[in-house]
Amino acid sequence: MAEQGLRIAGLHSSVEGNEILKGVDLTVEAGKVHALMGPNGSGKSTLAFSLTGHPHYDVTAGTVTLDGIDLLALSPDKRARAGLFLSFQYPAAIPGVKVPNFLYAARQAVRPGELTPAKFRALLLEKMDVLGMDPSFLGRYLNDGFSGGEKKRLEMLQLAVLAPKYAILDETDSGLDVDALQDVSDTINALRVSEEGKTSGFLIITHYPRILQHITPDVVHVMIDGRIVKTGGPDLAQRIEREGYDTLREETGAIA
Amino acid sequence: MPRSLLSPQERDAALEAFATTRTGRAKPSQYWKIDLETLVPNASANGAAGAVAIENTSSRAIAVDLQTAARDHATLLHRAFRRAIEAQHKFAQLALANASLGAFIYVPADCALDAPIVVRYRAADDEAIFPYTVVLAERGARATIIERLELGSRALACGVAEIVTEESADVTYASAQFAPQDARVLFTRVARPGRDARVAWASAELGASLSVTDLAITIEQPGVDARIATLFFPTGAQHVDIVSSVDHRTGDATSETLVKSAAAGRGQGRYLGNIRIAAHAQHSDASLRDDALLLSPSAHIDSIPALEIAANDVKAYHGATVGALDDESIFYMTSRGIDRDAAERMIALGFFEPAIDRFPTESLRDELRVALQAKVTA
Repeated sequence: MAEQGLRIAGLHSSVEGNEILKGVDLTVEAGKVHALMGPNGSGKSTLAFSLTGHPHYDVTAGTVTLDGIDLLALSPDKRARAGLFLSFQYPAAIPGVKVPNFLYAARQAVRPGELTPAKFRALLLEKMDVLGMDPSFLGRYLNDGFSGGEKKRLEMLQLAVLAPKYAILDETDSGLDVDALQDVSDTINALRVSEEGKTSGFLIITHYPRILQHITPDVVHVMIDGRIVKTGGPDLAQRIEREGYDTLREETGAIA
Repeated sequence: MPRSLLSPQERDAALEAFATTRTGRAKPSQYWKIDLETLVPNASANGAAGAVAIENTSSRAIAVDLQTAARDHATLLHRAFRRAIEAQHKFAQLALANASLGAFIYVPADCALDAPIVVRYRAADDEAIFPYTVVLAERGARATIIERLELGSRALACGVAEIVTEESADVTYASAQFAPQDARVLFTRVARPGRDARVAWASAELGASLSVTDLAITIEQPGVDARIATLFFPTGAQHVDIVSSVDHRTGDATSETLVKSAAAGRGQGRYLGNIRIAAHAQHSDASLRDDALLLSPSAHIDSIPALEIAANDVKAYHGATVGALDDESIFYMTSRGIDRDAAERMIALGFFEPAIDRFPTESLRDELRVALQAKVTA
């Protein structure tokens, strides 16, 4: 049997010739929540884009497997169909493409043939209710004219509807008020106990430990300068909240 | 042979105007191969060609062919016929000189049509037709007109649509052109709305080897709401040239122009968007939105907004973009499992959607989506 988990080993990645990831090792197991923390510019988003296959990010060394599948050999759409999902920090606005049409195409792509359009609509409305999204969202164009909070909610709606095997949330919590953060957390927690999502693994990228009070991580990693410099339990997030990243930087000898 | 609607003298004057008027359009370039100044669309050798079919479910509106209108409704017809086109509309002069095929639509005061009137012009292979549509909408009348061209191979259509309204009328006129790839289409569409009236042109140029269109609204009364929406998509070796003109000759009126274009293959597009606001046309509110999408390295679209604003107390908005499909948008969609081709198709179709939205019926909108999809996929 293939090795389960989202397994990242020795990953190096560059943007326009500048190496950002300098050997990342990290495994997210099915059903587990991992948090990835780190200061700005440490390479967290680069990791997210390198895993999902963004064309501007050039993976120069290392391996990534998803339940045994070699992700790096696949185009972005095939990575998604293998079960990978990224909640974008800044999702693209696509005028003229209606939210439900896009979501239905995505759902059909990752989970072909399971739902009729009518059942799909019912599913959407149910998930939107959890997120406190008005049904009028269904008449809007994808992220077009959305506020920051609305974009994050739409990312979470996609997470709920696609129920991926492994989800990377890139700073989904940033810029959210308390209520929005609660709605986002509720969606993730609801997915984790659902039939479709109970084996989903999560990599929650965050700058602040705030979201981790709503979703308890099993493992916390700290990334500094393109490497994981420390891995621990939820108490590591609390320590970062108290002390910031500077003491970790000194302790691990990471160069800022 | 149906008689001309013009006296021999008027016909000669129109031909003379055609011969001496310049289109004012750009010259041929390394991209655009056709000289419109010297183009003479000839009439068929067999005289009056083509046919018109009109669908009208209203008992109050008159919708008849132009010959019948000239015979039975001459007084009504002449309240609108030649009241909107002007001498500068070169190809309209040629259509006028040859006008025998056409339609006249009259909507009496306070009559609101619940179904669109559909006008179909037909030309057989190698035929040339000069269709002329005249719309007269009285005070408070509401109507939607859909014009369809059904052209054979190598056919040519050089036509006019004129709309004249009284106050508070509301007329939407949609034309969607899917002519064969070797046909040629030249149309002049001019409206002259009355006080507080709303007039909307919606035009789609998707077929023909050459498509030349003038879309114009002349504002001479306050309170007018003038709308122009056009979409075009040259593929293969198609050439599409569109000029839209909104002429604010009086103030306190609103206009909105929306243009969505794409080009693929060796498709060539040219768009000139004129907005003129006269010195005394204060409190005019004009907007022009023009976006072009280039889908292949040999495709080309020249897009030129031309705002001439002589008044000082107006609102005028203008926004234009030209570019390829956005990489971030493609990545975003593919990251959701949608394959790249499908993502590009959805984004390109979505790009047209705001213009598609201006067309009056769902079946016409779907027809446009299907035709656009075929062009994106080709």
